[in-house]
Amino acid sequence: MQTVTLVPKEQFKISIEAELITPDNFAGKSNTEIGVLIAYEGNTPRPLSELFDIKVDGSAEGADDVKIEIKGSVPRVKRIGEGMTGGRILIDGDVDMRCGAKMKGGIITINGNADSWVGQEMTGGEINVQGDAAYYVGAGYRGESCGMRGGKITVFGNANDFVGEHMCGGEIIIKGNAGILPGVSNKGGKIVIYGNTDMPGSEMTKGTIIVKGKVADLMPVYQREGIESIDGEEFIKYVGDVIVGGKGELFVR
Amino acid sequence: MSELLIKNATVYDPINGINGDKMDIAVKDGKIVDSIGGGAQTIDAEGRLVYPGGVDAHTHIAGSKVNIGRIMRPEDSRSGIKPRTKITRPYTGYTVPNVYAMGYRYAEMGYTTAFEAAVPILKARHTHEELEEIPIIDKGGLTLFGSNWMVMDAIREGDQERLAAYVAWGLLASRGWGIKIVNPGGGEAWGFGKNVSGLDDPVPNFEVTPRQIIRNLAEVNEKMNLPHSIHLHCNNLGVPGNYKTTLDSFDICKDIKSKRDRQSLHVTHVMFNSLGGNHWGDFESKTDVISDYLNKNDFLTVDMGQMIFGNATTMTADGPVQYRNSTTFKARWGNGDVELEDTSGVTPLYYSPQVYFYGVMWAMGLELALLTKDPWKVLLTTDHPNGGPYVNYPEAMTLLMSKKKREEEIAKITEKAYDRWHISGIERELDWYDIAIKTRAAHAKVLGLVEQGKGHLGIGADADIAIYDIKPDETDATVEYDRVKAAFRKAAYTIKGGQIVVKDGEITATPMGRTYWVRTKVDNDGYNRMMDDLKFKFKNYYSVNMANYMVQDEYVQHPVVVETEYAEV
Amino acid sequence: MIIKDVLCPFCGCLCDDLAVEVENNKVIDVQHACKIGSSKIMGHDRIKAPMMRDDKKGEFREVSYDEAINEAAKILANSKRPLLYGWASGVCEMMKKGVLLTEEVGGIIDNTASVCHGPSALGVHEKGMPTGTLGQFANRADVAIFWGCNPVQAHPRHMSRYSVFAKGFFTTKGRKGRKVIVVDVRKTDTADLADEYIQVNPGMDYIVMSAIRAIIANHADVVPDNVGGIPKEKLVELAETLKSAKFGIIYFGMGLTQSRGKYKNIDNAVSLITELNAHTKYSIIPMRGHYNVTGFGNVCAWETGFVNAVDMSRGYPYYNPGETCSNDLLMREEIDAAFIIAGDAGAHFPAQSIARMGKVPVVQIDPFHNPTTEMANIVIPTKVSGVELEGTAYRMDGVSLRMRKLVDVDFPSDEEVLDKIIAKVREIKGASS
Repeated sequence: MQTVTLVPKEQFKISIEAELITPDNFAGKSNTEIGVLIAYEGNTPRPLSELFDIKVDGSAEGADDVKIEIKGSVPRVKRIGEGMTGGRILIDGDVDMRCGAKMKGGIITINGNADSWVGQEMTGGEINVQGDAAYYVGAGYRGESCGMRGGKITVFGNANDFVGEHMCGGEIIIKGNAGILPGVSNKGGKIVIYGNTDMPGSEMTKGTIIVKGKVADLMPVYQREGIESIDGEEFIKYVGDVIVGGKGELFVR
Repeated sequence: MSELLIKNATVYDPINGINGDKMDIAVKDGKIVDSIGGGAQTIDAEGRLVYPGGVDAHTHIAGSKVNIGRIMRPEDSRSGIKPRTKITRPYTGYTVPNVYAMGYRYAEMGYTTAFEAAVPILKARHTHEELEEIPIIDKGGLTLFGSNWMVMDAIREGDQERLAAYVAWGLLASRGWGIKIVNPGGGEAWGFGKNVSGLDDPVPNFEVTPRQIIRNLAEVNEKMNLPHSIHLHCNNLGVPGNYKTTLDSFDICKDIKSKRDRQSLHVTHVMFNSLGGNHWGDFESKTDVISDYLNKNDFLTVDMGQMIFGNATTMTADGPVQYRNSTTFKARWGNGDVELEDTSGVTPLYYSPQVYFYGVMWAMGLELALLTKDPWKVLLTTDHPNGGPYVNYPEAMTLLMSKKKREEEIAKITEKAYDRWHISGIERELDWYDIAIKTRAAHAKVLGLVEQGKGHLGIGADADIAIYDIKPDETDATVEYDRVKAAFRKAAYTIKGGQIVVKDGEITATPMGRTYWVRTKVDNDGYNRMMDDLKFKFKNYYSVNMANYMVQDEYVQHPVVVETEYAEV
Repeated sequence: MIIKDVLCPFCGCLCDDLAVEVENNKVIDVQHACKIGSSKIMGHDRIKAPMMRDDKKGEFREVSYDEAINEAAKILANSKRPLLYGWASGVCEMMKKGVLLTEEVGGIIDNTASVCHGPSALGVHEKGMPTGTLGQFANRADVAIFWGCNPVQAHPRHMSRYSVFAKGFFTTKGRKGRKVIVVDVRKTDTADLADEYIQVNPGMDYIVMSAIRAIIANHADVVPDNVGGIPKEKLVELAETLKSAKFGIIYFGMGLTQSRGKYKNIDNAVSLITELNAHTKYSIIPMRGHYNVTGFGNVCAWETGFVNAVDMSRGYPYYNPGETCSNDLLMREEIDAAFIIAGDAGAHFPAQSIARMGKVPVVQIDPFHNPTTEMANIVIPTKVSGVELEGTAYRMDGVSLRMRKLVDVDFPSDEEVLDKIIAKVREIKGASS
């Protein structure tokens, strides 16, 4: 078991791109070896040792046995956990955009808020956001047909617009409210929104969206099927989006 | 200027009949010369393969369609990224590279000339803005005429003098090299969402047929003595059974003879137009029939339009086909009608070997090249980026050189394709000489660029030379195809106009190339008739003024202008 | 002397039929242009010389071009996250240099589309754009729909040249042969001259489009009785009108790109057009604002692979609107230097962005004094493109044309200034590497 603790040395103003902060990249490395890995502050390369106080306990052969703890809020550190295949990352505060992008495995826990594109293009693993998430939770990249393909994202607070845009697989749980157009252009996967949302499932071809709160505007493209019970709760079931010949399932109160 | 000596080259220069001779090549002032003095910079080719710089006669590299592809596909642009270096700007993209990658990647492959396949006159300025930004390679463009109101009106009224005067004016306005015809007449029908269904189907509101458009432009092409023949994308592209339209289209030009030593008809990406059957259920390859025609006739040439599995961005002036692609495959659809002139469409596709019709089409491009006996008649292209990006030419080259490689690829293709194609039964394997023909010599000959010093290594030719890390005498391409493919992808040396621009597959210099275009003097009564008609159309139908329409000198910084003259016979 | 066939350097119509009278190297009259175009060409008070100040609240002092350029280069070369914004009022030749400068300094290049039609590009990434040149619509369209745009105000000659009154080969009756429909949240001046005005509730355009699509796809049964303030029967009627066109065209503007859903509105409109093409011919086109904003999108795309909002800080282009647009960055206080050229950030940016610009060095390259000047530390006046400088511009439909030079002036061009800044930046960075 290898535990790497990073304490931010300052409150970064310009975003740090730190895609090298992953269990895969840290596995088996010493304090110094991690310290020379390069992150970018805008156009300026900066070694991690300049940005964080680094402490390493133990060692590991692979990502699975690595735990990274960022002790502090890092609302200006992007791409943490990008492409990771295993292990754990715990962020003791907020985190910047694209946290856990292209994640394949492992667990990321964010004790604060996550900025936009958390879990972008994820294929496996788990992300837990204790606070709020911004736009495009578990979404794709512009022009790609699939966003999230696997794995699970849970947001305990609220999320903004476009949750699970272009989702092809996996699961997203929003315990609070979600903004407009969750599950837009979905081809699979499951989204559960405990709070309120607006215009869910537009252009969905396949997949499941469950909304436990209120829906401000339902898309006028869903065929009502009837009442269905999920885990003891009653929902109205709709199938659509009819325009795209969709067989997606939308469950609302 | 500097002198360069390449020693110990194993040269394949089909235009000069050189087939693997061991020789030295001397370069001075950007040209191949007989000999140079001592003290020149020397490259020891060590017996490696040396070809003339590659020439690509049909590729979509610059202009409105390409840029719409880029804008539409940020996910393509984010692939193929290479950060900037001291010598190179950043590379982006795979099917729609940025202008820098466009030039660099051709040069890395040992290519030194590429021609944009379709230039709409009204948007030619855009094409030239992009061509001017593409580093290294020499280039030109083929101007679209096949659905043009001026063209169709002149044909309907039987006025070939006027037609020739207009084509000359259009080539000047677009700084074009030759006449491009795409789905003749269909571009106009598409203005109201329709298409033409066959060669004798009159274009609505214009009452001329595709047959008349092709025939008249072919005749006028020869009267104008243009370096290239007409360049035709046949009607009914991509429709099962279309091979019949293709054969009929061929016949239109059968009796047309050129004064120049070349074909009187070039049909492009003919793979897409060699489909048999009646629908996608029973469709099959009819390349055997097409190749049979090619074997029996010398007046025409074709290029393959080889399919490469993976991502592609289809972009042509065949608006109806692009619309059909996007609705059939639920893909994004870019459409660009050009008033009075033509149309265009851009649709991203993905070619999977598990889909049988893609599998068959993959085979068909190869079949055309292998079943046609004369290697000069079938140029190697992928109709970049329609069949696939040009960086995959080495893949196509090695497939033609190795039956074993073909078998390896066939194993990845769904069995449903097997009884619809001919590829499994073909034993032929092309050699280094054949490949040199198909990737440079024939392209230059077909385009009419040999006289400009392209496609060969004779004295006086441009010093556009590619040295590949292959010792032909020691390499069996039929089994070592992986190594051969890698070698073709990254040249050991690419020399452009006597300057080393690539070493070991990396760009070492980025000079700017030249743009070739044709100016034809037309001294006939038709000129005044043409001008009257043109002024009328500008006054009443065009949304720009005639004074602002033509491409100005500023947009072609390094021109090479070929002058020709119209003559009746 | 009267110069004919002059192109107007104001809006995306890029009218090219102007006649300008020039006497003693001064523009004295402009014919055929609309009021705003005419006004730009006639010219007005301009910044006379380069100026600098350390304190944004203080007085500017006049400096030489060399001093201003060198200082601007120093600021850019030493920034970690510089923004290079504007571009749309310049010619393409200088935009190419802008991309190069952004690469050299590892910054972000973005244009005015960010606050205008940027969402249209995002819609294109999703669905494409079935369109054509403006003459195609003038010659063929018998149904013209203006959705969320008001050409009477924003593109004054559009309707007579291209979209409403134009007569063409197939449209010999002009206005009389055309059905004009306006869809908007309020009755605009354009709605006043339309055959039909459909009022949609604010923020409901997306849902209304989906409802129309559902009706056209023979699923009227799932559409509720009222959608976005429009009764279902009205939508059914509209769908029939749309389907019965010989050639329909949708012109759209900020009403779609800047209302709820933003780029999803465009995305949905493109899908509507695509689906209508199964019945009859349809196209769609954005009503671009600045005369050369389309030019920037084209230049940026062929140079970098992306249409705008390109972040070069890692040595290669990265594009992600929502992350790399000017306001995304300014509102997060990430930008540490702003280079504003041929675009008025001060007039169009939200207050929070402007507040950030108030805290960092700002370089402005522009012939004219405008709200950006209020925030600037260095101001470098240049030629007015299209009046004092020739060069390439792209009309809203992607047709590129060459702007003319009408008078000679003793100011440098944007391109000359950019070339000098690039050279100086290279010198500074070369010295430190």
